[in-house]
Amino acid sequence: MKQLHKKVDLSVDIGGIKMRNPVMAASGTFGYGEEYEDYTPIGRLGALITKGISLKPHSGNPPPRLVETTGGMLNAIGLQNIGVKALIEEKIPNLKKSGVPIIVNIFGATIREYGEVAKRLEGVNAINGLEVNISCPNIKKGGISFGTDPGQVFKVVSRVRESSSLPVMVKLSPNVSDVTTIARSAEEAGADALSLINTLTGMAVDVSTRTPKLGNITGGLSGPAIKPVALRMVWEVYNEVNIPVVGLGGIFSTDDALEFIVVGASAIQVGTANFVNPRTSIEVITGIENYLKDHKMNNIQDLVGSLDTSAFSIL
Amino acid sequence: MSSIIFNQKISSDYYRMRILCPKIASRAKAGQFIMLRASKLFDPLLRRPFGIHRLCHEKDKYTLKSSPSCIEILYKVVGKGTLILSAKKKDEEIDLIGPLGNGFYLRQNIETAVLVAGGIGVAPLFSLAQTLKGIKGKSTFRTELIVFIGGEKKEDILCLNDFKKVGAKVIISTEDGSSGTKGLVTDLLVNFLSDYPPLKTRNLKFFGCGPLPMLRTLSEIALSRDVPCQISFESRMACGVGACQGCTVTTGISKKGVGEILYQRVCKEGPVFDSTSILWD
Repeated sequence: MKQLHKKVDLSVDIGGIKMRNPVMAASGTFGYGEEYEDYTPIGRLGALITKGISLKPHSGNPPPRLVETTGGMLNAIGLQNIGVKALIEEKIPNLKKSGVPIIVNIFGATIREYGEVAKRLEGVNAINGLEVNISCPNIKKGGISFGTDPGQVFKVVSRVRESSSLPVMVKLSPNVSDVTTIARSAEEAGADALSLINTLTGMAVDVSTRTPKLGNITGGLSGPAIKPVALRMVWEVYNEVNIPVVGLGGIFSTDDALEFIVVGASAIQVGTANFVNPRTSIEVITGIENYLKDHKMNNIQDLVGSLDTSAFSIL
Repeated sequence: MSSIIFNQKISSDYYRMRILCPKIASRAKAGQFIMLRASKLFDPLLRRPFGIHRLCHEKDKYTLKSSPSCIEILYKVVGKGTLILSAKKKDEEIDLIGPLGNGFYLRQNIETAVLVAGGIGVAPLFSLAQTLKGIKGKSTFRTELIVFIGGEKKEDILCLNDFKKVGAKVIISTEDGSSGTKGLVTDLLVNFLSDYPPLKTRNLKFFGCGPLPMLRTLSEIALSRDVPCQISFESRMACGVGACQGCTVTTGISKKGVGEILYQRVCKEGPVFDSTSILWD
């Protein structure tokens, strides 16, 4: 007799962003969507997060902007983007056609700018949420990153919160001494969800010329090399906040994604892996579904934060 | 998946790989590139870009049929990715994305094309030579091809006979004098131009690929003699499709009469750029 299979429920609600599955394309790794249309069915993604956008276009950093390192890559693109006006007029209409939920990643050089960008996106059809990049330099504080100071994080997130009716997800920087402090500030300021981690600051040197391999000297490390750090931070934050946590950092396979979900991520983002295999996200969606079936679970929620530490003593 | 027809060493550290990939080959144009994944594991992590060196069939060598089924890439072993690539054998499957980028701009009839290659820079220029010899313009003549190839030593001079077989005049230089004239390839070009009939200079078009100092000198030569010059750039890349913005070159544009810096993507707006748009400093 044929066994009746219950359909597995992969849908998630990330602070008001409703997605049919928990797999998103990470900001900066999927352009504005159109770049990957020929290579993967972007309409099947849980959500697509656009390249970070600011009030005015940014020209970015001088080249060279990227270098591969063992198990990862460093980038120093410098937030090059077309500006919020061009995003709304030229990119969103095309992206809308694919039917994928759109999350717009935003940043600013001042707290005011964060609020302005959020306001410009208010009421734009087909945008389902905002992701706030707090890792960029604060020009009023000598270029130090907003995301390293709990007070600044509170101010940025509050400003975006009051400027937008969309769900707000805050993307946390790992370049801090205690990520949970930052996470709590974002939550208190009204964030609906948190995503982590952004890239780890690093550098690489060409010894034949004794010059930096990046035009910007330092850059952000991503890829498999950072996954253990990302997992640890997701786990710490999950245990500290009451809003959904979205995990990212070195996810290249289904197992990588499952690790994040088990330590507490309600959803995950695929980033650098898109460059290597544009179909990674689609493969991960299928992989999670199969895992749930194999483990007789009907709902992805049953897996979130299911890490069993009972056999290990935690001091 | 595409499969390897052959992968042969052609000089010290230099290899030529022919790949059966009808979908890519049939759409490819001279000057475009592919992104190749050297290992299914994640070390090396990223795909590597390679210019399309030749369009061909599994067996034929030098003719360009209407719809080629294979491409060739030419590469030098310089790191982990190319080392792994050099060990690949006939019939192995290989993961490619392409064809990517814009090819050389060849809309008008070209009377005399001067190709200037430095070392591995011959790679995309050979497919250009193939194409120029295949295009029949409105005029009855075919493009005259003059190819300058420069390298440090004899072993760096590649594809000499291949260019000759498509009917090109080939001029060689090496820095150590082990092949052709001793010196830089751009010096040879300057000498060549000084003997060239001034009236015919306006029929020339330059195409260059090679190390940055060579390309810079080439673009200065082109500018001083008012010869149009297309340059094919190499760059480190992550995605190859325009998403990561990692492979940019610095260009200058005029916006309402004001000069502005614009970082353009080698993978998307390039890899071929008009030499006058590049800011070299």
